[in-house]
Amino acid sequence: MVAEDVKPTRKDLMEIKERIELSEQGHETLEKKRDGLIMEFMEILEEAQDVRESMEDDYTEAQKRINMARALDGDVAVRGAASARAETPSIELQSKNIMGVVVPQIEATKVRKDVGERGYSLLDTSARIDEAAESYEELLDTIILAAEIETAMKKMLEEIEKTKRRVNALEFKLIPELEEARDFIELRLEEMEREEIFRLKKIKNKKEEEAKEEARRRREELEAAAADD
Amino acid sequence: MSKKIAVVGDPSFTTGFRLAGVDEFREVREGDKPSELDDAVEDVLENTDVGIVVMHQSDLSHLSRGVREDVETSVEPTVVTLGGEGEGQLREKIKQAIGIDLME
Repeated sequence: MVAEDVKPTRKDLMEIKERIELSEQGHETLEKKRDGLIMEFMEILEEAQDVRESMEDDYTEAQKRINMARALDGDVAVRGAASARAETPSIELQSKNIMGVVVPQIEATKVRKDVGERGYSLLDTSARIDEAAESYEELLDTIILAAEIETAMKKMLEEIEKTKRRVNALEFKLIPELEEARDFIELRLEEMEREEIFRLKKIKNKKEEEAKEEARRRREELEAAAADD
Repeated sequence: MSKKIAVVGDPSFTTGFRLAGVDEFREVREGDKPSELDDAVEDVLENTDVGIVVMHQSDLSHLSRGVREDVETSVEPTVVTLGGEGEGQLREKIKQAIGIDLME
């Protein structure tokens, strides 16, 4: 708001003062929200780092096992077993609310299965393939966990950024502008008051002079009348 | 609602996940990655049945800028990358949002 848009009236001044108060309250609340979000985020961050580490470990392990299976049983056997998998794992998405941020809660179903449930023939495949399948199932489990945490982190980061932007907009843009407008009105009102006082004084002086003039004229008239007598 | 896990990558990357029962795949051979990976990734990201996309970290470098950004910001589905510096993108976002590098 530029000073020109502001009308220097008491009504506007009151309105602006109210807006400043409201903005300051909002600023405080948003600051608290931002700090709270960051604290929550730090907690999730630690968890995320752990999960990521264990995911990398699982991945290396799973790769090692499948390479072993591939080397000893042949690529065809591994692929054959892989394409025979019957049931597919699926995930259920639910949501959880952290300080106004909706984050997903992912529940996995049918990821881990017993050897017999995997769908490929046990007689034609070796234990190495079973092991590889098992370690990949484990990996999937960790991936699902990581997905949950990473999505939560992404959403929270978004919210933190949004809140931070709002806090800054209030702190560095809206509130200073309102304060500027308030100062402008206050100064202008004071100025007007001084002008008013000056005007009143002038009028008073003028009236006094007029009264003096009147009195003098009257006296002269009286004097003239007395002289006539 | 029930969603699927999808895996994008070359056949040797996806086989293991096949073994674990995943059945949503976009297989792109190593040589075709520069030209075909973009479409494959866009395709899974648009698929509403998919809840999680698994990719190899090194494949991200084959993606064009726009798709890469989609991968990094997408929440539904979420893209999880395996192998190598998986924290890179998230780390950048944290720096941007909070102002300090928290992952040291």
